[in-house]
Amino acid sequence: MVDLNLLYHGFGTVLSGYNLIALVLGSFFGIIIGAIPGLTATMGIALLIPFTFGMTPITGIVMLLGIYTGAIYGGGIASILINTPGTPAAAASCFDGYPMAKKGLAGKAIGIATISSGIGGTFTALCLAFFAPILANFALRFSAPEYFALATFGLSVTITLSGRSPVKGVISGLMGLLIAMIGLDPIGGFQRFTFGLTEMSGGISFVPMLIGLFALSEGFHQVEVILSAPRISAKLNNILPTFQDIKSCIPAYLRACPIGLIVGITPAIGADTAAFLSYAETKRASKHPETFGTGEPAGVAAAQCGENASTGGDVLPMITLGIPGDACTAVLMGALTIHNLQPGPMLFQNHADTVHQIFAGMISANIVFVILGLLFARFFAKVINIDRKFLVPLIFIACMVGSYAINNVLFDLITCVIFGMIGYIMLRFDFPVAPMVLAQILGSMMESNFRRSLSMSQGDFLIFFTRPITVIILALAVFTTIVSVRRQNQALKQEAEQMAKLGI
Amino acid sequence: MPPISMKKVDIIVSLLVIPICLYVFYESARWPVIAGTGNATWVPRGDAVCLLAAAFLLFVEALRGRSLTIPSRLAGADRSRVLWIAVLTGAYTITMEYLGFIATGVPYMFGFAFVLGERRWVRLILFAVGVPIATYILFRTALHVPLPEGWFI
Repeated sequence: MVDLNLLYHGFGTVLSGYNLIALVLGSFFGIIIGAIPGLTATMGIALLIPFTFGMTPITGIVMLLGIYTGAIYGGGIASILINTPGTPAAAASCFDGYPMAKKGLAGKAIGIATISSGIGGTFTALCLAFFAPILANFALRFSAPEYFALATFGLSVTITLSGRSPVKGVISGLMGLLIAMIGLDPIGGFQRFTFGLTEMSGGISFVPMLIGLFALSEGFHQVEVILSAPRISAKLNNILPTFQDIKSCIPAYLRACPIGLIVGITPAIGADTAAFLSYAETKRASKHPETFGTGEPAGVAAAQCGENASTGGDVLPMITLGIPGDACTAVLMGALTIHNLQPGPMLFQNHADTVHQIFAGMISANIVFVILGLLFARFFAKVINIDRKFLVPLIFIACMVGSYAINNVLFDLITCVIFGMIGYIMLRFDFPVAPMVLAQILGSMMESNFRRSLSMSQGDFLIFFTRPITVIILALAVFTTIVSVRRQNQALKQEAEQMAKLGI
Repeated sequence: MPPISMKKVDIIVSLLVIPICLYVFYESARWPVIAGTGNATWVPRGDAVCLLAAAFLLFVEALRGRSLTIPSRLAGADRSRVLWIAVLTGAYTITMEYLGFIATGVPYMFGFAFVLGERRWVRLILFAVGVPIATYILFRTALHVPLPEGWFI
């Protein structure tokens, strides 16, 4: 169970001195990153990890949590004002947000979006604080075979659910798995796939790779398209919603909060799915579904609430089991590791105070972005018009500095640039990047626990089929893989049929 | 503009996978075998076999004309800009440690914004000079993160 005393002290730590400043700055930058179409929460966290190197672990983590929650919320601002989602997760907010803006209710839409995101985010952060210790306590019973099964489950689901083509997802994930094997063998200690380079004997540096794949690749993509987002003409008035506005959205919150949480916990699907499901469910249950899509405040509330309600669910398996559910939490996990905090059940044993500070940080971050969002709505709206000719070079130099600053070696910089190019090519040709990164984390976990399991059983493979938890998780992995591959194939067939109908 | 198929790319990728997988088999053949811990080659070789199978599927799908299409927003995009930026970034990466962060950062930022189409010279120069200096000061003094100094700064 959550230790209320530790949580209380966690709030004390998070809301004092530098930590509070870091939280506010993180949320502020997060909203800016989210509001600019083309920049994602994952990219924001990857870019700003280097800024946390000189900070204490909790200051750095709190800042990154601020960026994470702020960016997820901020995506809705562009959706409402220019009908272009700031982040992929905010696409559902376009349906009713933009029609509201066209009716001259842009301020009201942003106000409802802000409060709704705050409600969803705070709910999920409270759930995280409540459920994480229980799950971590249960996970203490896990041994190598269970961790192997968990990593296999996470990998299989992530690989098959990412992108438009399951085969491309599989190739991306398996390549990531191979990259994870570069360096020393986890049991034997001999070098593998290093090509004689001493720089690679410790494996590929994770953070430069992350920055390259998520930030630099997106930078190259922006160079190619030089997004010309439409300029904002809407005037923002009456941003603070009335009590009646919020009261009318309560049914949407009651649906979106649990949907977001459950979707967040499920590996490989995150804020975007949560927002769409919440929107669809609220529309289905509404007495006037025909008003949805024409500027219905409950539509904005459901999408934004569901989107932010997924954040705590995403963090839950990462912090308790060391298994990131999506790309964003994979980057957060990398940041925790850099600050010598290895996510997993032992984190709750060895750093219970820090874990509760993280919970307090997550709850506070969701309140801070609401305050900032309401206070600076007009400023964040103007940020969307930022000149890309200056923004993109800034992203590049931040990537370079970030990659170099970790170990102060040129090799990390080269790693970042190479993975940046690889990531760009992958983005361009529809190879999902997330499986490659998740395979980096889960691959090494899978391999080392596979080998440890065999050591435990003297080389007998039956160890994976005689432990109930392992069998259940492995069966789930097989089941979800088959189901998701079939579903994606059906979707592809439908897409092909539609194109054929259109004569393309 | 009609959608452009990724058929060629899919075929190239599936063919590129073959030498990678062959190398996995070649190198893993030289690894020592440690008794009782499971063969160290199982996971990488298993991965390589799965990768080959996935590449084969991609190849077959491409030949059957079932490749995905390039998103419409990218169909007419200017790739020469990407090439220029890649060259600039490569040059910057290699020279930064020798020449210093600011000495390389100024021409890099100038060239970058220029390639992206910025032609307002005063803004361009202010941006190119200001960003590396501000970044250097922020990281060195405020965040205590060292940056390369090289022959200059």
